[in-house]
Amino acid sequence: MKRTAAILALVFGVPMLQGSLAPFLPAAFRPDLALLVVFALSLSWRDPATGLVLAAVCGFVVDLFSGALLGQHALLSVLAFVAARALSIQVSLIGALPQMITAAALTAVHAIGIVGLTAFFTPGADFTLLRLGGVAPRVAVNAISAPAVIWVVNGLVAWVIGEDVGRRPLRIATTRSWIP
Amino acid sequence: MTEIRSRVLLAGLTALLVGFALVNMVVDRRALAQGGRELSWWSGLALDVAVPVQKFVAMPFDLARGGWSDYVALIDVRRENGDLRAKLAETEDENLQLREALLASGRLDRIAEMREEYDVPMVRAELVGLDASTWFRSVLLDRGRNHGIHSGMPLISDMGLVGLVTATSRNAAKGMLLLDRQSAVSAVVQRSRDRGVVRGTGDGLVFEFVGREADVAAGDVLITSGLGGVFPKGLRIGAVSTVEDASTQLQREATVDPVVDFGRLEQVFVMLRRSQTMDLLYATEGGDQPDPGADPAPAAKSAKNAKKGGS
Repeated sequence: MKRTAAILALVFGVPMLQGSLAPFLPAAFRPDLALLVVFALSLSWRDPATGLVLAAVCGFVVDLFSGALLGQHALLSVLAFVAARALSIQVSLIGALPQMITAAALTAVHAIGIVGLTAFFTPGADFTLLRLGGVAPRVAVNAISAPAVIWVVNGLVAWVIGEDVGRRPLRIATTRSWIP
Repeated sequence: MTEIRSRVLLAGLTALLVGFALVNMVVDRRALAQGGRELSWWSGLALDVAVPVQKFVAMPFDLARGGWSDYVALIDVRRENGDLRAKLAETEDENLQLREALLASGRLDRIAEMREEYDVPMVRAELVGLDASTWFRSVLLDRGRNHGIHSGMPLISDMGLVGLVTATSRNAAKGMLLLDRQSAVSAVVQRSRDRGVVRGTGDGLVFEFVGREADVAAGDVLITSGLGGVFPKGLRIGAVSTVEDASTQLQREATVDPVVDFGRLEQVFVMLRRSQTMDLLYATEGGDQPDPGADPAPAAKSAKNAKKGGS
């Protein structure tokens, strides 16, 4: 019970923490903690189904505390979780550098997703690709923050499920479909 | 076989969550277009619960900020206080002379009538959180429908226009700031009366206006035009800082310095009004009228000081 509460506190608390950081840092230089937590969960959470639901909940909480349409960040969080999970099965994302590169790529795609969805649903909004100049600092800040966030989430998940999640085994594809 | 089943289940769950999110977006967009964006019971409950939690989470940050602004940043306050007192005395003197002149011209009564017309009950609300997303500029307020607040009501501060209420729950509300990229306000240049639209760019404001002959210059004050009926006429928005060169473009832009310091905003006043135009646009069923009796009194008087540049 205490451990479930810890995970729920993570997915509910991170967007609130992000809102509290807002007066201190300009938007472009503020790490997107919710996206990074979703990325970290995709690496460390063993059961993908529960991980997906957690990612969606985290996204919905961000929607609730932001000016976005309800479901916008949830949709992108689910897609980010699936993409990062699929990538982590193919490539080892253990170590700071691959994590930073993946976080940078996720942030860029996430930005395009936000701009695209907002432009689609709110045509009058100033959300065109021409206004994406602020993406570069966001990508850099998220890339730098990713290893630290992943380390914290890994520690929490390890405590919750009681094992070392930093060493999730890689799936190795074989040419034989059946092994006697 | 088990792996195939688990993959199918996972794909199904992903599709379900994606579909749920998309349906929510469509429903939310429709509600926003119809003006009555009152959050569903579960999201409203989450927001109501979140307000005290958000206050708790923000407490250390607020303490740090308060410590800085209340102690460290007050080094020059004595000198500044002296300057302000001198300026106040000058302004009082000037005010007295103007009143005399107005009395002499018989216009004071008409101005008093106008003030009554503009007086709108207001509710003071504290900002308990800023936008959790780095792409939008909204605020979370600690007052909601129980206090008479509904979506579509203007948010102001003692300096000028702040934004608009976009969603409400029983005890909380979400407001969109002027800076948000989705924000667009019909505005007029106070000096030349040229019209245009003030749009948010995420971290600033731009004034879009038509015509090469438009008389817009740096330093001009922009006020709400009242067109569209969302905002009352005459609320201060900001001052023009730079104007784009009048080349061959039909539509020109000017950057605007907002009068409200959004970085230091701690409380706002919600104007408990929706003009007739808004009611026509929103076509609500009677129950959406604000309750003017809901705690407006303390705020109403203090908010009278909200500067109305055009009145």
